[in-house]
This record gives sequence, C-alpha cells and structure tokens, in this order.
Amino acid sequence: MHIVVLSFLFASAFATAAGDADLDALSLADQPAPAAEKSSDWRFFVEGAAGYAPLRNGGATRSERLSGSVQLDTRLSPDWRLVFADRLDQNWQASFDNGRATNTIKDAYLSWQASPERSLDLGRINTHYGVAMGYNPTDFFRANAIRVRVSEDPGSLRENRQGSVMLRGQQLWDGGALTLLYSPKLAEHANDGSFNPDWGATNGTDRWLASLSTRLSDDFNPEWLVYREAGHEPQLGANITVLLSAATVAHLEWSGGRASSLLGQLNGIDDVAWRNRWALGATYTTSFKLSLTAEYDYNGAGLDSAGWQALQVGAPQQYGLYRGGVQRLQEQPTRSEWFFRAAWQDALITHLDLTAMLRRNGEDASRMHWFEARYHWDKTDVALQWQLNQGDAGSEYGAASQRQIWQAVLTRYF
Amino acid sequence: MLKTLTAIAAFIATTAYAAPNAQQLLAATDAIRNPDKPFSLTTTLIEYRNGKQTDANTLAVYSKADKVGGEFRSLIRFVAPARDAGKLMLKSGNDLWFFDPSTKASIRISPQQRLLGQAANGDVVTVNLAKDYHAELDGEEDVQDGERQPHHAYKLALAAASADVTYHKIEMWVDAKSTWPIKAKFYAESGRLLKTAYYRRFETQLGVTRPTETVIIDGLDPNWVTVMRFADYGYRDIPDSWMQRDYLPRFKPE
Repeated sequence: MHIVVLSFLFASAFATAAGDADLDALSLADQPAPAAEKSSDWRFFVEGAAGYAPLRNGGATRSERLSGSVQLDTRLSPDWRLVFADRLDQNWQASFDNGRATNTIKDAYLSWQASPERSLDLGRINTHYGVAMGYNPTDFFRANAIRVRVSEDPGSLRENRQGSVMLRGQQLWDGGALTLLYSPKLAEHANDGSFNPDWGATNGTDRWLASLSTRLSDDFNPEWLVYREAGHEPQLGANITVLLSAATVAHLEWSGGRASSLLGQLNGIDDVAWRNRWALGATYTTSFKLSLTAEYDYNGAGLDSAGWQALQVGAPQQYGLYRGGVQRLQEQPTRSEWFFRAAWQDALITHLDLTAMLRRNGEDASRMHWFEARYHWDKTDVALQWQLNQGDAGSEYGAASQRQIWQAVLTRYF
Repeated sequence: MLKTLTAIAAFIATTAYAAPNAQQLLAATDAIRNPDKPFSLTTTLIEYRNGKQTDANTLAVYSKADKVGGEFRSLIRFVAPARDAGKLMLKSGNDLWFFDPSTKASIRISPQQRLLGQAANGDVVTVNLAKDYHAELDGEEDVQDGERQPHHAYKLALAAASADVTYHKIEMWVDAKSTWPIKAKFYAESGRLLKTAYYRRFETQLGVTRPTETVIIDGLDPNWVTVMRFADYGYRDIPDSWMQRDYLPRFKPE
C-alpha cells in the first residue's frame, strides 16, 4: 500500500515537474525574437596563428601567420552568377623581418544557368572530386594546387588551394548528372611570386574530364569519371558510397589507368603500366556526436617497400626530388597508408569540438598524429593544434625536421 | 489543397460523435504543417540551455514531396551563423549529402550524423507523419497549447511503420474542432522521451492556417529548449533534377 501511495506521489510530482519544465520552456520561447539573419553574398574572415616546433636536432622554430579570406557568390542576373574566392597569407618564420606574402585565387568564374537543368561555367574553378577523407585519387585537379600549406587537416588542404582555369558544362536530369570540363594549358611553369596568379601551376597542360552520376536506387548514387591529360593515357574513376546502417556510411574511391609510377613521372622515366589507386573506408557516428572514420589508402603508382627503402639509402638529392614532387602532386609516396579520424562535436562542453587524426604509413610504419581542440563563439573560433611526427629517419613522417608542431589559431568571421 | 482540408474537416465533423479516423486526423495535421506544393521558407532556430540563448541558426529551405512516396525531399542552405554561411545539405530519404563551398567537398552523411546539427530538429516539422506512422486514437484530453490556451484534443498514438524512422513512437494531441496539431511527444525504441514539441503562433501562410513556431524541449534535459520560427513562405518551382548531390554546389536560394 505504502509503495502504491509513494509511487502515485512520485508520479504526480514528476508530472508536475515535467509540466513546469514545459511552461518554463514556453516562457523562454515567448521572448522577443531576434531579427532573422539575411543571406549575404559575401563571406569574409581573418585569421591569426602562432606556431612553435621543436626540431629533431634539438633546436626549435617559431612562426606566425596572418591570413584573410574573402568569398563572393552573387547573382548578376537571374541566369548569371559570379563566384570569387581569394585568400592572402602573410607568413613569418623565426622573426618578423623574415616574412612572405602569398595570394591564392581559389575561384574566379562566371556561371550561366541556361535552364534549370543546364549550366556553363568559365573561369578559375576549384573543382573537387572524391568521397574519401584521407586520400582522393579521383581529385584529379589537386596536383600543384596548394600555394601555402597552413595545416595538415585534409579539410584545410582541400580549401586552401587554387582552382584551375576551365570551361565546365553540366546537364542534370531526375536521377543523374553529366559534367564535362576542359582545362587548357596557359603557361609553361609555376611561379611562386607573392601575387602571381600562378597559371602554370594549375594550367600547365591541357586536361579533360567527364563525370556521370547515376541514381541506381533511392540511396545508391555512384559517380563515374574519365580524365585525360595531354600526353598521358586516360584514367578512369569511381566514387561509391553505401549506407550500412543509420549510423554508418562506407565509401570507396577508385581511379585506374595506364600511367607512370610517381618515381618514373618525376624522373622522366617511361614505366607506363596499369595502376590502381583507391581508398576504402567507413564513418560511424555515435549518439553522443562522435564520428569515427577508418580508411585504407592504396597508391599503385607509389613506391613499394623495397623501392622506398632503396630511395631512402640512395642519393639525398633523389630522395628530396621525390618527396618534394609527391607533396606538390598531393600524392601518397608509398603504396599503402592507414588513415583514422575522430571528430567529437560539443565534446564535454557545448561549442568545444575535438578532432584527432592518425596517418600510418603501411611501408615504414611511420606515423603522423594531429589533434585539434576548437572552441567557437558566434563569430570567433579559437583553436589549438598539435602535430606529432614519428618514425625512422627517411621514413614518410620521420623525415620531417619538426618533431612536433604546436599552433594556436584565432579566427574572426564577418 | 483547401478542398482536401475541407473534405478532411467535414469528414471528421460528421464523425465527431463516432470515433474519428486517427490516420485521417494525422494526415490533416500533415497538411496543416506542410504546404501541398513545392515551397521554400526560412527557418530560424534559437537554442537555449538553462534559460540562456546559446546558439542561433538560420536556414533557407526548399522542399517538395516525392511524387511516389510523399516523403519530403529538401535542399537546405545555411544562412547564419557566419561560420556556416553557404554550407548546404540535401535530404532525400536516406540519401543525405553535406556540401561545404570552401572545400568543394560533397560528403555523404548518415541519418545519425545529420542529427548532430540543429537542422535535425527539422525532422519534427517537415515530415509526412501519415506516411511513416500508423495512428490510433488513444482517447480525448483537455490540454494546454503552446500559448497556454485550453483545447479539447484527440490524443493519437503513432507507431513507426518501418524501422528506419528516427522516432519509434509518437504521441500527438490534435484539436478536436480545427485538427490543428497542438503538441507531440517523440520517443525512442527504448521508450525514452526524446523531444516534446509545441506547435504555436498559427498564421495563414500559403492559404492555410499553419503553426509558424515550434518549441522543442529535449526529453532528457528539459533545460535544453529549441525554438524554430518559420517565415518567408513561398511556392517554388523545384525540378526533381535538383534533388541530387551534383546540384548542391549550384543551389542558391533567391
């Protein structure tokens, strides 16, 4: 009897508390509404960063950076649209007397919407293909696109790069899309001048690409690609995603075709053969806002274990040429790599995002760890980043002179 | 649209003293919440925790019902805050894509991943419940609405028709006269209360009196409150061909 009465009292008290909570919530909602934000064609932010890097030889370096980014996306008329995105980085190494400015034109193009389903774009376009996270073999326009490497975060590497000049047409239909683009040769060599448009880096050769998206079922929509670069064999590509469960998405990105190895390409050696490059992975999201990604990356044009070891013990110039070239091409130097990423939104406290990333080379077991803690207010972000490079001398990550890199970043959005 | 609503209301009125058809009542609330033709609106989400505003987001939404299943498919563009402005999302059933204009990357996300963002609360608004749930009449009750006005309401018990919906069970109170949705409680499979929603500030938009505000109270933490306000309603021509990943970079609401 006592239990019944107590249960009744508890249930009544709980119901009242729940009712009170609802009334409190409704009172909160009665507060005058702030004016709704209006959409703006402009986006603008400034960012300051200070870095400190202990070196393997015992010393340390420090660096500072001030960056500004502007993006305009506006309609000139109902059918015409102008897109412009530019970033300016001022970097200092060791002292403020040793500075360098670098401007990156990310986008500068006109878009004509000929009909709701048909469009034509002309200008400098940062076009990105690929569904993988750590390695994008179908991102054919990534080569030579980065002018300033501000972070090893894959998102930053995709964002802070220059577009290629191209003419691009797209036709949509219910359940699919066809995109054709042509990117012409405009200059012979890259130019690292601070404000040089650097046409040679992104448009050093004639290139063509066709992509076809087809919806085969309600939630299966693969993308197929054909890419051709003047003087090279065509490359095929595919981007496939599958929803494995309500919390898991798997992805496969593949490109393949007859091509030189990276070593051959960088040394002018003709060793053309069929080579596959692919990335296979999955992202799982927990109910408490933690997303976990694991991905295996394979580059059939990279060096195998024997080749990689031989390069490391060979001529230092040859090693340097290979590493520099591979980085410019945004390629993976060896055959295989593991990529892991964990991103936790509102971690521990609201507005704090934690991200951890691990890259592990499959041939030499060297590792790069990257962590970021980012807190954001309405228009301001503060982030602390830490990178740790581990591995034997000459290995992918052990060769870096910086053992660790600390960076504090302050971003203000307008 | 008006004809449909009138027919549903007439049917409910003629059967007012018999047991009303729960599924038709549910369909009537769907028709009140969702315009019958492709439409656009602006959604402002204001989030409060412990009585203080912690977040504000503005989204421009283009939405249309699927010709076959009736399920809503939406293109969403983030207007504010400045950090997220210009980001885009496509929701077409379980085909969910996120596009960031900065990285130009289209990322496929899982339904669980979508729930991370505030846009997840769109779930309790632009959704055709009659398509995804079997409704049963669970009695009549006198309840207070979101503006503390008393209503005599039918209580509907909704059970998920398939396993892939976000909420396993929903309780909904529907005004017995107008068929306006008053409030709803959304439950997980475990029976845990996930959200309570109050539909309020009814105004005539696109020819129908609709709630222009939804107050959402978190089931686990009642001090976590999200207020969604809907404005700038308009009918739009939205071709089916826009509801795909490849269109996201081109989507720019007027």
